[in-house]
Amino acid sequence: MNKFLTTMMVVLSLPLAAVAQTPAWNELKGELKAALESKGDPVRGEKAFDSCVGCHRKDASGRTSGAYPRLSGQHATVLIKQIADIRAGRRSNPKMEPYLDDHALTAFEIADLAIYVQGLPISSENGKGPGTGVAAGRQIYDRDCASCHGGKGEGNAEKFYPMVAAQHYNYLLRELKFIRDGDRRNANPDMVKAIKPYSTADLEALADYMAQLAPPKK
Amino acid sequence: MNKVDRDRSHKAGPGRAVVVIAAVLAAMLAGPAAAEDAKTIAATVCVACHAGDGNSVIPMFPKIAGLQEEYIVKQLKDFMSGRRKSDIMAPVVAALKAEDVAPLATYFSSQKMKAGEAEDKKAVALGKLIFHDGNEETGVPACVGCHQPEGVGHVIYPRIGGQHATYVAQQLKNFAAGERNNDVSRYMRVTAKRLSEEEINAVAQYIAGLGAK
Ligand code: HEC
Ligand code: HEC
Ligand code: HEC
Ligand code: HEC
Repeated sequence: MNKFLTTMMVVLSLPLAAVAQTPAWNELKGELKAALESKGDPVRGEKAFDSCVGCHRKDASGRTSGAYPRLSGQHATVLIKQIADIRAGRRSNPKMEPYLDDHALTAFEIADLAIYVQGLPISSENGKGPGTGVAAGRQIYDRDCASCHGGKGEGNAEKFYPMVAAQHYNYLLRELKFIRDGDRRNANPDMVKAIKPYSTADLEALADYMAQLAPPKK
Repeated sequence: MNKVDRDRSHKAGPGRAVVVIAAVLAAMLAGPAAAEDAKTIAATVCVACHAGDGNSVIPMFPKIAGLQEEYIVKQLKDFMSGRRKSDIMAPVVAALKAEDVAPLATYFSSQKMKAGEAEDKKAVALGKLIFHDGNEETGVPACVGCHQPEGVGHVIYPRIGGQHATYVAQQLKNFAAGERNNDVSRYMRVTAKRLSEEEINAVAQYIAGLGAK
C-alpha cells in the first residue's frame, strides 16, 4: 500500500517539473494547479468514485457503445486536466457536468479520484471499430500522432497527452471529430493542426486503429 | 392541470387526514412520554405510520428500517429545519427533542428492511435496465453506482432496495420538480429530472423487489 502510494505521488509530482515551460493550453493555475500539487489518496478516491460509477462503471471501463469513455489506467494528470477543463467550461459535457462541478467535488477530491482511477487495470474488452481501417489508420497514426500519443498509444503523463490505446471506438471517433471541428475547445493547438486535414473516413480509420491497440503495460 | 399540480393534489388527499393523526400524536409526545427512550417513541409515535420496527406497510409511508444511521439523522434534522418539506413529518419532528434524533436513528437503522414485491411485473425489465445501466441517450446514470448493488446504499447514499414503489416514485417526482431539494450535491434533482414518467414508475417497481426476502 505504502509503496503504491509513494509511486503514485512520484508519478503525480512529475508534471510539476515541467511547470516552467508549460504552454498556454495547459497552463497550471487555479484548481488544476491545486489538484496536481495535492497528494491524491486512492482510498478516499475509491469512495468519491461512487458518484461516477453510474456512467463510467465500477471498474471505470466505461461503455462499449462509446457513450461514456473508459477512464481506468488513464494518466492521473490527464484525468485532472480534463476534469478541470470541463468544470471551467473549456470542454463542454452537459451530461456529466452537474455530477462533477464544484458543489460536488473539491480540487482535493479530484486528485484522490485521479490517483485511484489511474491505478485501475485496463480492460481489453473495449468497443472496437469495424477492423477495416486498421492498416490505413496505423499509417496516419505513426506519421502524425505517435510523436505525442506514443508508438503504442500509451500517451505521456508529464505532457498531459492522453493514453488512446484500447479506448472505445465510438468515443475516439466522436472526440476526433470534436477536436477537428473545434468543438473541443481545450485541445492542444498542435494536435488540432495535426488533425485538421483529415476526412471523416481518415478519422474512422484512426479510431479503428487506436481502439484495437493492446492496453499499455504499466 | 400540469404534471406537478396533479402530483401535489394526489399527495394532499391522504396527507390531510394524516396531519390530524400526527397532530394528535404530537400532543401525546409533548407530555411526559418525551423522556422515554427511542424504542418507546418508536412504539408509540412512529408506529402509526412506519410500524414499530420501521417496516411500514402503507405504500405512501417509507420503510425506515435498515436505513443508514447518518441518513436518518440527516433527514430528521432536515425535516426539523424545513430543508425537507413534509406536511406529515413536520408536526412529528416538532414534538421531538434534539437529543431524541440520534437514538431514534440508531434504533431504526439497526432494524432490517423487509423486501417488497414488484406489483407491475411488466415494468420490472425496464426498471432493471435503468437501475443497472441508466439511459445513455438522456444521460441518466445507473442507480447502482451510488446506491450500490441491491440498493443497500452506503455512506451518504441511502438504502433504497426494498422500499415501497409508491414512495420511491413520489420522491423521484418531488426531486424532479425541486419540491424535495435536500439532496447533497443536487445529485438526485439532476438524476430525477432526466427520468421519464415511465422510467420512474419502472425503476420504482424494480427497487421495491430488491433486498432480503
Ligand atoms: C451522467 C453520466 C456521467 C457521470 C455521472 C460522470 N461522467 Fe464522466 N463522462 C461522461 C461523458 C458523456 C463523457 C464524455 C464526454 C464527451 O464525449 O466529450 C465523460 C468524460 C469524462 C472524462 C474525460 C475522459 C477523457 O478521456 O478525456 C473524465 C476524466 C471523466 N468523465 C471523469 C468523471 C468522474 C471523475 C466522474 C465522477 C465524479 C464522472 N466522470 C461522472 C458522463 C458521465
Ligand atoms: C502535439 C501533440 C499531439 C499530437 C501531434 C496529437 N495529439 Fe491527440 N491529443 C493531444 C493532447 C494534449 C490531447 C488532450 C487535449 C485536451 O486537453 O483536451 C489530445 C487528445 C486526443 C484525443 C482524445 C482523447 C480522450 O481521451 O479524450 C484523441 C482521440 C487524440 N488526441 C487522437 C490524436 C490523433 C489521432 C492524432 C493524429 C492525427 C493526434 N491525436 C495528434 C496531443 C496531441
Ligand atoms: C403521521 C405519519 C407519520 C408518523 C407518525 C411518522 N412519520 Fe416519518 N414519515 C412519514 C411520511 C409521510 C414520510 C415521507 C415524507 C415525504 O413525503 O417526503 C416520512 C419520512 C420519514 C423519514 C425519511 C425516510 C426516508 O426514506 O427518507 C424518516 C427518517 C422518518 N419519517 C422518521 C420518523 C420517525 C423517527 C418517527 C417517529 C418519531 C416518524 N417518522 C413518525 C410519516 C410519518
Ligand atoms: C450520484 C449519486 C446518485 C445517483 C447516481 C443516484 N442517486 Fe438516488 N440518492 C443519492 C443521494 C445522495 C440521496 C440522498 C439525498 C438526501 O440526502 O436527502 C439519494 C436519495 C434517493 C432517494 C430517496 C430515498 C428516500 O428514502 O427518501 C431515492 C428514491 C433515490 N435516490 C432513487 C434513485 C434512483 C432510482 C436512481 C437511478 C435512476 C438514483 N437514485 C441514482 C445519490 C444518487
